[in-house]
Amino acid sequence: MIPAAPYVYHPFIDPLPWAWAHWAWTLLPLCAAVALVYKSIKCSTMSRVPREAAVIFVWIIVGMVLAAGALAGLVKVMQ
Amino acid sequence: MDSSPVLRNPPLVALAGWLVPGLGYWFLGQRGRAITIGVTILIVFVLGLLIGGIKVVDAPDGFANIAQKPWFIGQILAGPVSVVSAVLADRTKVMSHAHSWEIGTLYTAVAGMLNLLAIIDSAHRASQESGA
Repeated sequence: MIPAAPYVYHPFIDPLPWAWAHWAWTLLPLCAAVALVYKSIKCSTMSRVPREAAVIFVWIIVGMVLAAGALAGLVKVMQ
Repeated sequence: MDSSPVLRNPPLVALAGWLVPGLGYWFLGQRGRAITIGVTILIVFVLGLLIGGIKVVDAPDGFANIAQKPWFIGQILAGPVSVVSAVLADRTKVMSHAHSWEIGTLYTAVAGMLNLLAIIDSAHRASQESGA
């Protein structure tokens, strides 16, 4: 029997190993980036961006959690 | 951090914004906005490559087949960095993890869509400045 070769991770070639199991957490930086770019475009002065981006980041997360809960409930009802 | 505009032509500002995310704002003299938007978009794109591997940028074989890989439309909006990634991905043998690949594709496509917003806004600001 040939022993299995040890797994060697190559960044930017192989998928990130931990992202496979914890993919939901990878949505947080994406939401933060969307909030930051959106508010950077919308705000007239950049000094307002950090606070407004933080607020809309929280709203995005709350909206996603509520949508996930609603969809999970819908699936449960339909089963 | 803002300075006087060096370029007010909307199509050129839009092209600059595609070539380097945020560069359109830089030419309009809005350097704080340029750096914030440009760096954020590039970080999102690179994070997508890191999470899913470079193969997430998967160019279709010709424009006629774009419907088979519509996410590439979003990715290409991030600028030449997506073209370079597609060329490199074409030469790469890679393993696929479904969730990681999906998240990586989402990151790179969202980076491109955010850059589209920035391109439209910077071109609009340029048209207002050139009309003023």
